Amino acid sequence: MIATIKSEWRKLRFRPAFFVSSGLIAGITVLVYSLNWYQALHPGARDRGGLVSILTLYPDQFVNAVMGAAFPVGAAIAIVLGALFAGSDFGWGTLKTMFTQHPGRLTVWTGRSVVFATWMGILAVVLFVTGALMSVVVASFQSHAITWPAATDILKGVGAIWLAFAVEGAIGLALGVFIRQSAAALGAGLIYILAVELIAVRFIDSINDGAYQWIGNLFVGQNVNALAQSFTSPVFGRTVAPAISAESAVLVLAAYGVGLMIVAAGLLRLRDVT
Amino acid sequence: MENTTIVETHSLTKRYGSGVLAVDSVDMSVRRGEVYGFLGPNGAGKTTTLRMLVGLIRPTSGTATVAGQAPGSPAGLARIGSLIESPGFYPYLSGRENLRVVADLAGAKQKRVDEVLEMVELTSRAGRKFGTYSTGMKQRLGVAGALLKDPDLLILDEPTNGLDPQGMAEMRKLIKDIGQGDRTVLLSSHLLGEVEQICDRVGVISGGKLVSQSTVRELIGEKGVLVRADPSDRAAEILNRMFGAAAVSRQDGLIHLATDPKHSIDINRELVGAGVGVSELRPYERSLEEVFFQLTGEKQGS
Repeated sequence: MIATIKSEWRKLRFRPAFFVSSGLIAGITVLVYSLNWYQALHPGARDRGGLVSILTLYPDQFVNAVMGAAFPVGAAIAIVLGALFAGSDFGWGTLKTMFTQHPGRLTVWTGRSVVFATWMGILAVVLFVTGALMSVVVASFQSHAITWPAATDILKGVGAIWLAFAVEGAIGLALGVFIRQSAAALGAGLIYILAVELIAVRFIDSINDGAYQWIGNLFVGQNVNALAQSFTSPVFGRTVAPAISAESAVLVLAAYGVGLMIVAAGLLRLRDVT
Repeated sequence: MENTTIVETHSLTKRYGSGVLAVDSVDMSVRRGEVYGFLGPNGAGKTTTLRMLVGLIRPTSGTATVAGQAPGSPAGLARIGSLIESPGFYPYLSGRENLRVVADLAGAKQKRVDEVLEMVELTSRAGRKFGTYSTGMKQRLGVAGALLKDPDLLILDEPTNGLDPQGMAEMRKLIKDIGQGDRTVLLSSHLLGEVEQICDRVGVISGGKLVSQSTVRELIGEKGVLVRADPSDRAAEILNRMFGAAAVSRQDGLIHLATDPKHSIDINRELVGAGVGVSELRPYERSLEEVFFQLTGEKQGS
């Protein structure tokens, strides 16, 4: 297992997508922070409830602010990376190289999953570090005192984002293994998360005055949103409590992550490599 | 005493879901230390058979034992190096980094990477990205990857595919060198000259069936004598009497005689003595190509 993880890490650290995704996540965080900063300083006459308070951009709120910056673009990036990570090995013919070395298929897949999860963790850290730096920049320009949230809140936030990225990435991974190529897998993943799931949830919620809303609450996107919304404070002005508790969202997302990895492992174990 | 067979299959069969019978009841045995040529036209089932031997695809029925283990088992894979179809490496990594990745997975020491690069003469270009390699360099890196484990059995699927004549000659030399000593090489190819030059024994597969398995010498058969004479019927009659009907066959006005060429003087004397004009009399040896086309039912020159 250690050998497999070493091998996967050796590949990942030179992979262009590794650097591009980190840069993209950092860039998006900077962009979202910058836009919110501008909007907070230049409220239009028509802006009422949608105002961004400058208070949300200071370091003491950066965990909550970063949650908003991470989705849905971060989720889409995670799916794309998952599809690329799993699918490109079919296109390059490298899967047969991996499967004809010493470790068994499940060991190889477990090692790959560990490295992918680590990658998602790195992206979560990049997101938080960038968010923290931006909050310091905003606070410095606004001559506001720099105070940080409690370390446990920061860790919880990083953990929540990591879980969300890992599960969204697992969708891409499973699709990459199922479809056996990256392009179609990432296309299918993006369409699912950005369109199919939204339509499905709305449809389910509309049946019988929401009698089947509990089914809609089992979808990945709903739980990711609920988890992100659980990180909020009065300065964000949100008053509606999410329909799914943070604890429940964590459990559902963890179940998705494990389930998708097992399905992908089963497909890899049983199918021929042609 | 250790088993002398390193690859053994019994009724190995692969039928795809679409109904295509890719490999049909193949009984194949490869002995330790030999260079075994697996011959067959394109689409005959060579690659499918080799994929089954390394565990990439599962047989529909039949069994196989490779290096004493079931195909695809970690214990067996640890003793097998393989290059199946095209080399599978990461285009964004250098040749050396690709081998390091494989070495980690194979449980080989990192210093082995430089040794195998030296063996395939790629050391000077090992720092270049795999995506920029020529076909020949890619194939050589593929062989280097297969050698990382210092395997007992090396399975090479069409290693000269896509190479120019110079590259093919270099690859043949490399395989010959690798096949020295105790290592077994199982080499698939549709290039007959290549197999004839390199291999100790050959298996010929056609339409998914193994139609022959023997040494190259046995496959080609004994040498013979070719006679062009006039009248041909009278000559055939005399030769039938001399060597028996089974040794005589006629084709395109020529008489093929399955006998040692040292009898040429006697043949000439008998025919001329009987008033038959002999315009051509020469030793004859079937080429592997002729045997191959005969066994596979393919047409020469098609």
